[in-house]
Amino acid sequence: MDLGGLLQDRVVLVTGKGGTGKTTYASAIALLLAARGRRTVLCELDSQRPSLTGVFGREPDFHPLRVAPNLDVCNLTWPHTLVAYLERMIRVGPIVKAILSNEMVRRFLDFTPGANEIVTLSVLADLREKYDVVVVDMPASGHAFSLLDITRSALGLFRAGPVRARVEELRVMIQAPTSRMVLVALPEEMVVNETLETLARLQGGQLLGGKPIVVLNRAIAPSLSAAEKTLLDRLSAEAAPGDAEEFVAAGRWDRVLEESAAEAQTRITEALGEAPILVPPSGVGGNPREVVRSVAIQLGRHLGVSKHDFTWGA
Amino acid sequence: MMDLDAWLAKTKLVVCVGSGGVGKTTTAAAIGLRGALKGRKAIVLTIDPAKRLANSLGLDAMGGEPTRIDLSALPDAGGELWAMMLDSRGTFDALIANVSPSPEARDRILKNHIYRNMADAFAGSQDYMATEKLYDLASAGRWDLVVLDTPPVKNALDFLESPGKVVTFLDERILSWFLAPYERKNVWGGRLLAGTSAFMFKLLGYVFGKEFLDDLAEFLQDFRGLYDGFRHRHQAVMSMMRATDTSFVTVCAPNESSIDVARFFQVELAKRDLPRAGVVVNQVHRCDAADDDANAALGAAVARLSTDLPPATAATLLARLGRAHVRLRALVEAEHALAGSLRAAAKGGGFYQEVPRIEGEVHDLTSLRAVGEYLFGAPAEEA
Repeated sequence: MDLGGLLQDRVVLVTGKGGTGKTTYASAIALLLAARGRRTVLCELDSQRPSLTGVFGREPDFHPLRVAPNLDVCNLTWPHTLVAYLERMIRVGPIVKAILSNEMVRRFLDFTPGANEIVTLSVLADLREKYDVVVVDMPASGHAFSLLDITRSALGLFRAGPVRARVEELRVMIQAPTSRMVLVALPEEMVVNETLETLARLQGGQLLGGKPIVVLNRAIAPSLSAAEKTLLDRLSAEAAPGDAEEFVAAGRWDRVLEESAAEAQTRITEALGEAPILVPPSGVGGNPREVVRSVAIQLGRHLGVSKHDFTWGA
Repeated sequence: MMDLDAWLAKTKLVVCVGSGGVGKTTTAAAIGLRGALKGRKAIVLTIDPAKRLANSLGLDAMGGEPTRIDLSALPDAGGELWAMMLDSRGTFDALIANVSPSPEARDRILKNHIYRNMADAFAGSQDYMATEKLYDLASAGRWDLVVLDTPPVKNALDFLESPGKVVTFLDERILSWFLAPYERKNVWGGRLLAGTSAFMFKLLGYVFGKEFLDDLAEFLQDFRGLYDGFRHRHQAVMSMMRATDTSFVTVCAPNESSIDVARFFQVELAKRDLPRAGVVVNQVHRCDAADDDANAALGAAVARLSTDLPPATAATLLARLGRAHVRLRALVEAEHALAGSLRAAAKGGGFYQEVPRIEGEVHDLTSLRAVGEYLFGAPAEEA
């Protein structure tokens, strides 16, 4: 699988099941694109406790914050997104304030189905005009679809009028071939299931123009020989291995990791038509900053960026 | 120490919460099965079971209907185990039928243009629908133990708030405010609204378009009749959630992000006065430290079993097992430290129980029962 297409992309949505490493990959991709000279903004969507804080050492705000050359980060919080949307539609500050200070209107906006998705997408479109590329750290695949689906369902809800006109623009944006999803998967059955479901929904490019990229994170490359497997089986089958049981159990654990990585790779390759990008476990522990650095070095090889080409923060 | 069987015996409703991928479905199913083994009539409501677990429970054959699981492989099970998968859209339509004052009112809503577009948004909120279905099952009288496996939600306890959101929006005050210009128009043939409201309406029309406001007004007029039904339903659901025989179980795995979410859940449940039963940490790795004896025993066993294998095999596998053991021990230590922080933070929040990672996948009743043995077998610590 080739990552080169990312260099022309305008919108990159990074998603996957919970705990797969979405924030890590969104950050690494944003750093690499910035290192290649793309003016990049990395966004989190209305996060109560932004994960990007751990990576960049500063809490992202609604207003983009510079964290590295060519790279800004932000957190698209409600109601800031709503204010931005209303200002774009009405263009008179005091009137926007008047609307938002009315309790009935606020409750109305809170309830209107899809309001949050429409304004979020609209703000992403605004950012896309200001930057070369917008990278989004999405909450989870399901949420990614509610964001994309709104460009369809809102057309049913708004039969005419300014919201409909804006939604039509947003639909054109996400259907452009430069709008892409990056799916982060792990070699675990449930995660692979969800990845395949997501790929099936993206089939045909109706929702998102670009071809999805799949990264298989924490995948161990197979290295056990047939003879080693035989010996491990024999050790496991020993009725009373005595005190060596902890070694044999560790060996079986190691083998399961290897085999589930191979199985995940096969299943994803079948669905995608090509092999996913494999990234081995970082082995650098839980420090988000170090994990991002390690992943960026891995992905950088596919994007022509060496580890000396990217730096960030203090 | 706490006996979890005693806890389950006095519990009628169990809600498993936690982030995705931590074995929540397995925990929910293991709790249901344990109930059945103890003679209860249990049902597990699940959202998205792993395929093999679903197949073994017979869930593949059903669409949103309670299905009885064949327990004949476990002759000691005196009770019943049922399972069902959530059908969001079906649940939502049923809810509408339930709160409608008349079949005519129901049909008008179901045909409404705005409703049809909105229903997908609501039905899409599986969390809301799961709460609804849970209420149905718990009040059906057919089961005496109901276990819910909640969907992973973005903002923690959203699923408890969604019904409230409908009720808040649809309260009489806002309905009257919104519908005033439309109703008066019906009587007098023109809009009589003046002052702030008229101004606001003009602005809303500017933002949303007049067509949408007209559509919405028509919808709200039809929906008005359903308001009382929604409100009663919401109150009933909330009192069910706070009942003394309801228990929330927070499920997590020993990794930083899921433990973080678990801590957050414990705090949020307490804030909302919801009954916390305790915390389950799934998929915990176990591995003992090795000593010289173990090394010697391994060396002897490898030598004895590798005589017919290529000469290098014994040495490479030995080295490999040594490295794997070091890595697994490091993982065990790291998990132990993480779990310790959760245990400290969960103090006062019920039991704390670890369930070791089962080798191979939990995909049949026997392995599910084994999970139950770990969960209920050893007395749990009080967190």
